[in-house]
Amino acid sequence: MFQQYIFNTLITSSLYSIIGISFAIIYRTTRFLHFTHAVVFTSGAYFTFLFYKLFGFSIYFSITLAIIFSLLLGCLIEKSIYKPLRKKQASSMILLLASLGIYILLQNLISMIFGDDTKSIRSGVVKEGINILGARITPIQIIIIITSVIVTILLLLFLKKTKTGKAMKAVANDVELANISGISSNRVILISFAIGSALAGLAGILVAFDVDMTPTMGMNTLMMGVVAMIVGGNNIKGIVCAALLLGFAQNFGVWYISSQWQDAIAFVILIIFLLFKPEGFYGKKLRKQSV
Amino acid sequence: MTYLLHIFILIGIYIILSLSLNLIAGYTGILSMAHAAFYGIGAYIAALMALNFNSPFILNLFLAVIGSSILGALVGIPSLRIKDDYFIIATFAFQIIIFNILNNLVSFTGGPMGLPGIPQPVIFGIKISSHFSFLVLTAILCAITYFICNKIVKSPFGRILKAIREDEVFTKSLGKNVSAYKVKIFMISSGLAAISGVMYATYITYIDPTSFTLMESIFIISIVIIGGAGNLKGSIVGAVVLVMLPEILRFVGLPNSIAANIRQMLYGGLLVVFMLWRPQGFIGEYSFNRNNENG
Amino acid sequence: MDNLLKIQNCNKHFNGIIALDDFSCEISKNEIVGLIGPNGAGKSTLFNVITGFISIDSGQITFNNHTITKKAPNKINKFGISRTFQGLRLIRQMTVLDNILLSFKKQPGEHLENVFFKNKKAKEIESENKRKALKLLKDTGIEDKANDLADDLSYGQQKLLSLLCCLASDAELLLLDEPIAGINPAMIEKILFIITELPKKGKSVILIEHNMDAVSQVCERVIFMDTGKKISEGTPEEVRNDPKVIEAYLE
Ligand SMILES: Nc1ncnc2c1ncn2[C@@H]1O[C@H](COP(=O)(O)OP(=O)(O)OP(=O)(O)O)[C@@H](O)[C@H]1O
Ligand SMILES: [Mg+2]
Repeated sequence: MFQQYIFNTLITSSLYSIIGISFAIIYRTTRFLHFTHAVVFTSGAYFTFLFYKLFGFSIYFSITLAIIFSLLLGCLIEKSIYKPLRKKQASSMILLLASLGIYILLQNLISMIFGDDTKSIRSGVVKEGINILGARITPIQIIIIITSVIVTILLLLFLKKTKTGKAMKAVANDVELANISGISSNRVILISFAIGSALAGLAGILVAFDVDMTPTMGMNTLMMGVVAMIVGGNNIKGIVCAALLLGFAQNFGVWYISSQWQDAIAFVILIIFLLFKPEGFYGKKLRKQSV
Repeated sequence: MTYLLHIFILIGIYIILSLSLNLIAGYTGILSMAHAAFYGIGAYIAALMALNFNSPFILNLFLAVIGSSILGALVGIPSLRIKDDYFIIATFAFQIIIFNILNNLVSFTGGPMGLPGIPQPVIFGIKISSHFSFLVLTAILCAITYFICNKIVKSPFGRILKAIREDEVFTKSLGKNVSAYKVKIFMISSGLAAISGVMYATYITYIDPTSFTLMESIFIISIVIIGGAGNLKGSIVGAVVLVMLPEILRFVGLPNSIAANIRQMLYGGLLVVFMLWRPQGFIGEYSFNRNNENG
Repeated sequence: MDNLLKIQNCNKHFNGIIALDDFSCEISKNEIVGLIGPNGAGKSTLFNVITGFISIDSGQITFNNHTITKKAPNKINKFGISRTFQGLRLIRQMTVLDNILLSFKKQPGEHLENVFFKNKKAKEIESENKRKALKLLKDTGIEDKANDLADDLSYGQQKLLSLLCCLASDAELLLLDEPIAGINPAMIEKILFIITELPKKGKSVILIEHNMDAVSQVCERVIFMDTGKKISEGTPEEVRNDPKVIEAYLE
């Protein structure tokens, strides 16, 4: 039993950390809560369903195509809505409200096209779990864990080593300063949308392979990612730690109270952090006192 | 005819919700995504009182308002420490926690099965059961809410709310206890939202948690913003437009299966369009344009 | 001399930057003190510390024999200290008149219970305040702007308005952070005139200003600070000729 909880914790945490990181990449450069990310996540699953089940493409080709489409969806939203808003000097609250509007629009579009019922892309993939160290775990769950580790490492390297990664950090620290020093903040923001959206799409696909898909699956998962981001302090290592904490609390919380309370557990942790350690695990104080 | 009355009652309920949220969002400039939670708390308090104790409507209404404003303080107090984006996330969190409680405390709230058979109101011996009498009651409560909100925003108290919205630091420097005002307005707003909840519960006579979701909160904030934040009449306009508009679709003859989605898409789309071209809504006086640099 | 404000050994640093370094000074009743020093000397920080917007690392501040160290900004204002901000703060989306009305102290209408009950008294005081506000506007020649948005005023008029807000709050001590920087000479004259009149009304002023001529014109006493330390203090003439001051400016 205990081993099973450990595995479940790892799976949950891996998922939260991919979502959290994909969201944070965008949040760091844009400084507003891009809730439409939830639907980009869902779109990954539904694009795969579309290509694989309806068009009959091969599974790997469908997945690749779906990730590309999620990426394009994220970039399209940035280009057509957020960028014009930024040009008008819109505040982060306006951007947030717009993102909620797009979320509602697109989520219902998916509902309308595919229906509200659960869709599955699992058939063909082994559903039966295998026994590892006394815990039952499915191949897709192993893939989730491995993917999340690889993604995290790749991103850390990308941000540290590449020119684009450094530019993203510069924009995250101070947009105006970055612009002055010759970095095009719009281009960097677009890149962060591309990376973040591709990752979100990928996460959506992984979840769908694990537990199927519904049009509303995105918001809840995204909220967990956001919680991981805030608790982690908007920093990749912090997000991974926070995701582990959340996964642990949710899975082991089940020991004491029933599993229905998983969301509530996560949000209580969030509120505690917001009140007592708002900068998160690793974060620097986000705002300096301004008078 | 009953259909029209039904729509008007719903509009009334949403007017109360958006008027009360306007005090927080439009006048004080704090985006809260938890308004449906207070709406729900009002509904559940009144329903549980009526079902368990058979207590009179007026008392239930009173308790719902009090209970909800106490919880309002619970959200308002963190707003002193948690700012901007993080506060919005905190209100999301509160909303989802309340939903979880309504959904999971099955023995108490009926869980997903909800609470059926809520008695209709009896006020001074008059039983409110017809659509028309409900509409009258809703209209009266709307008028009272409007009167209260109007008094507040037109007073020096309301002037301070607007000042907080525009510049917290400056307001503090003038000797105003910004924190106290924020908590007070949260309490008033949540208390008023509970009125809607009580009306809804006793009108439909059945409630379940799905009426008080995060999506409902987003719908209420959309009414405030599309109608016009910082203007009480805007809340009325917003509620009328957003509740009526999808009903008009009904007459276009859309199949029921997609009508619900189209309805949602319509208001999601409207929200985007307004943010792009008219962030102050139809007749608003505030457009969330303050890029927060307040300490 | 009647002591009004007493600052003792205040220290404040921001991640390594020392903004106040063992700073002490005293301000008496009915005097205008100039606070000068190069950019980044810590002048505005001193104001922020006095008014409670920034908490000090160590030191003590007393006003009228009340300790105001570590008190909230709104409490400190109630003791009778009012300020303007270097980055000009006003409620821009409110009318000029409303900005001044907002600044009055002890308004019964600001209490929730008086919004609904006893509101006759609140209304009386509100119209009384309105009269006072209009008089302030009239005395300074911008009464025709009373119902314009503060945002629509010229920069100079906005600076004047923020000074009027301080006057409306009826504070004993006014902290003015560069009240005449960047405005036209006529408006400078007007604002300086208002400031010089203040001691006669029982008010004291600390004036941060880079324009030495203006400082010499209105202040009897000047404090020069640099890198958070008080370097020199005395009449404008004395400070101007203090070798330590000259040295600080040459660096
Ligand atoms: N809130 C803050 N956070 C971090 N550093 C600050 C803050 N406020 C001021 N500082 C720093 O403290 C030092 C003193 O600043 P201050 O604004 O007090 O200078 P000043 O004398 O008013 O200068 P000026 O004449 O340019 O207005 C500066 O180095 C400034 O960068
Ligand atoms: Mg300064």
